[in-house]
Amino acid sequence: MNQSNLIEKRRLGLVLAGALAISVLASGCSSTQHHADASGSVSGTESAKGESHEYLLTVTRPNNLHVIDMESHHITRSCDIPGSFGGQISLSPDNRTAYILSNGMENVYGLNIETCEQVFSAIQSTADVKVKTFVSIAVSSDGAELYTVQNPVRRLKDEFKVMSPVLAVFNTEDGLNARPVRTFPVDRRITTIAAAANGEVFLGGGDLKAINPKTGEIRMVSALQSEDRPRWLTPDAFAMFNLGEQANEYILPYVTAEFADDTMNFETAAWWWGMNRVDLATGKNQRMEFAPFEFIIFNLVADPNDKNIVYGAFNTISKHDVKNKKVLGVKDLDHTYYNINISGDGQRLYIGGTSSDISIHDHESLEKIGSIQLPGDMSTADLRVARLPH
Amino acid sequence: MNINKPNRTSRSVLLKGGALAWAQLAALSGLLTMATVSSAGDAQQIIRDRCLSCHSETGDRQAPFSRISQQRKTPEGWEMTLQRMQAIRGLKISPQEKRTLIKYLSDTQGLAPAETEGVRYVLEQNRNAVESLENQAIAGKCSVCHSGARVALQRRSEPEWEKLVHFHMAQFPTIELLAGARDHDWFEQTINEIVPELANSYPLNSTQWSDWKTVKKQPLTGSWRAVGWLPEKGEYEARFTVTALDSDYYNLDIRGKYADGSPLSGTGRALVYTGYEWRSNVTINGIKMRQVFAASEDGLAMEGRMFLRSANELGGAVRAVRESPDRSHILSISPSYLKQGERSVINIIGSRLYGKIALGHDLKVLKILSRSADRVSVLAEATEGASLGKHPVSIGSANGGYLAVYDRLARVEVTPTESIARVGGNGGKLAKQKVAYRAVGYAAGNDGQPGTEDDLRLGYMPAHWSLKAFDEVAEHDKDLLFAGTINSVTGVFIPGDAGPNPARKMSTNNVGQLAVVATVKDGNQQVSGDNHLLVTVPTFMFPVIQ
Repeated sequence: MNQSNLIEKRRLGLVLAGALAISVLASGCSSTQHHADASGSVSGTESAKGESHEYLLTVTRPNNLHVIDMESHHITRSCDIPGSFGGQISLSPDNRTAYILSNGMENVYGLNIETCEQVFSAIQSTADVKVKTFVSIAVSSDGAELYTVQNPVRRLKDEFKVMSPVLAVFNTEDGLNARPVRTFPVDRRITTIAAAANGEVFLGGGDLKAINPKTGEIRMVSALQSEDRPRWLTPDAFAMFNLGEQANEYILPYVTAEFADDTMNFETAAWWWGMNRVDLATGKNQRMEFAPFEFIIFNLVADPNDKNIVYGAFNTISKHDVKNKKVLGVKDLDHTYYNINISGDGQRLYIGGTSSDISIHDHESLEKIGSIQLPGDMSTADLRVARLPH
Repeated sequence: MNINKPNRTSRSVLLKGGALAWAQLAALSGLLTMATVSSAGDAQQIIRDRCLSCHSETGDRQAPFSRISQQRKTPEGWEMTLQRMQAIRGLKISPQEKRTLIKYLSDTQGLAPAETEGVRYVLEQNRNAVESLENQAIAGKCSVCHSGARVALQRRSEPEWEKLVHFHMAQFPTIELLAGARDHDWFEQTINEIVPELANSYPLNSTQWSDWKTVKKQPLTGSWRAVGWLPEKGEYEARFTVTALDSDYYNLDIRGKYADGSPLSGTGRALVYTGYEWRSNVTINGIKMRQVFAASEDGLAMEGRMFLRSANELGGAVRAVRESPDRSHILSISPSYLKQGERSVINIIGSRLYGKIALGHDLKVLKILSRSADRVSVLAEATEGASLGKHPVSIGSANGGYLAVYDRLARVEVTPTESIARVGGNGGKLAKQKVAYRAVGYAAGNDGQPGTEDDLRLGYMPAHWSLKAFDEVAEHDKDLLFAGTINSVTGVFIPGDAGPNPARKMSTNNVGQLAVVATVKDGNQQVSGDNHLLVTVPTFMFPVIQ
């Protein structure tokens, strides 16, 4: 390893140590959303040709959903979201309704992004049971059902009792004050989830599993914490952001290490970024290590036109050839950005989160080509793309 | 207790945030504004009046209240509990009632002196203690977010430890998603494996506590001789005159002087919890300070730390003994080293220092420069062939301490060896968190190799202080330019200003990794030692117990 790589790697160690001490935002990326194209084909190029119009959606403090025109890069509309800040977003198949997990990870609000009208709400907690949902929000491919993973804790007179998590299924047609129509037990520690065209809901947790939301039947998709892989570190899989709609896939990234021998020496191990990526059209998963851990990749997004190319962001923006495990480019950023998304034509990358600006980058050079200033901090909000006919 | 006792092998530095806020420290400090003597009946009635909307009476006289009666804590621990109940559980309680409850609960459900040994650094607000708890249950789970000492200073029944885990899940829902937690069944493992271990290591009922309850507690009135050290001021000696205002409540008068001869005087009030936990607020030469001491079980000695109330990272260790006509003590010898073939002024501080001055074999008292019952100053000489090692010192019947005779200064240790400073100021609400360093000298010992177990500790030595980049990352990022400065004489490090700095890469804060270098002169040679200093961002949490 050359000097600059060594420095970068040691810096990473510091950043990661800090993340460990500070909060849940210690790594991650993902997607939940199927695309508007019900056939499941990779789309986006057509939109770029002008048959539809792309809008970037994100949430800023205090609690506003912004609809940003991806051609003019101006905010078209800002909608108030009830309750305290929270910005995990899942879109209806027609992209007109944004379902937002808000108010301290407890409530879901569905807003019409063309009018700001509230068309759906689910207040998950009750008087004696506090329910938290850690990012887990997804809409079925037909738009009829909304899924969350609920982590309930019962409040007794002078103590709390932790309850088992469940997948909660809501009918989107139930509108305001919707209640779950079905619940099924699921693992603890599930963060991002995604609904596939085959009806399954993929659950990103310690392992990647999929649940049939009609029956509650769960299958293992990719063992991570449960896997037995000699000379490899148990993968640390974690995702805190919903994205992937442009390539119609769900990505659960992870960090792992391949040890040189049975002594499991961390110093001499080869550290890797890996991912599970599920094609939401087919429900098929691929798992791979794709990039050496030389800088932090907090979130990943694929080129809609070439899924072998993925882009990552955090302190750097990077471009990767997945098949050949090659870093095609990496550029420093002017501050940390948690989140990343891409235009449907694959030409422009949008990186946001953390602060109040979205940085726009060219897909080839990775150079910054523009910026969108928002009225408040995005913090950990999602950065999603909606496509409307106008 | 030696607050400067580092342990390089331990891993968890107390840099984590906590749960509650600044106001807490002020709240416990506020206890000292008035006497809080109340009967047990009064205190139990406050619990009935204020706590039973959630808690309930059990009907068991030995454990009358649900949950409350299943725990034992330090005064600071009970303060945190009540503060949390006020902040997020709707407890309405007057300051006087709160003071009464903390005193009552600390006295009746506190920790025995032996139960706080080794983990008092959090009570003493030592920001640079490096934890070395052997308890793996704590190390792997609890001290990811807060000090392990916070846990080790509690005692609970097993069901109560389990309820604490459920509370954590309710209060901090993402706890199981943290790095180090999310790759295994954190909740199930904590309940099934950690809770039994905690109940075994830190049980509600213990021999130490039942024994301590039977010990007759000694009033701490009288005259105390004390020695200590404060950043920027140095070593001092003092007399504490303690008079009772009420049961466990004292007036404190302090008179003394620093090593440079400048006077030290002040007054304050002290409250004693659990029969030995001395907490006082004092004003010394116009500066508000706090004392957190533990009295010995026989009530004849106290040890702890005194620090600035406005910056509790700035403080130092204190040792005090209660004076008595039939006891004499040596409290400190300064300097505590003498080189072979050299002569030096040695100051011996203590109580009732009457009788023959004996510095040990091969050491001569050339001249007694001054002498009183409190302090003896001599010109001493070590012969060329004086035996290397520790020479016990006595004055009459007073013992304590030694002079280290050495041939050559071989190594300098900077204490604290691991340290944290935090940027601040710059118009923000949070002050800079500084660090005060001291240099400790060592001779190589019999094996002639510095850094081995037989090194001879010489004691604190005056040093010239400087900084350097800790590693190549720090050099690359020019941390030395931004992270702060150190006073070359006092060894006090002042971190840089808070906030993004456009002059740095990615406009990062003035954070950095530095090495603090102490250079000590020994004859014609200079010996340097260094440590690790992490300059980081401000903490926004100031719990009473980190």
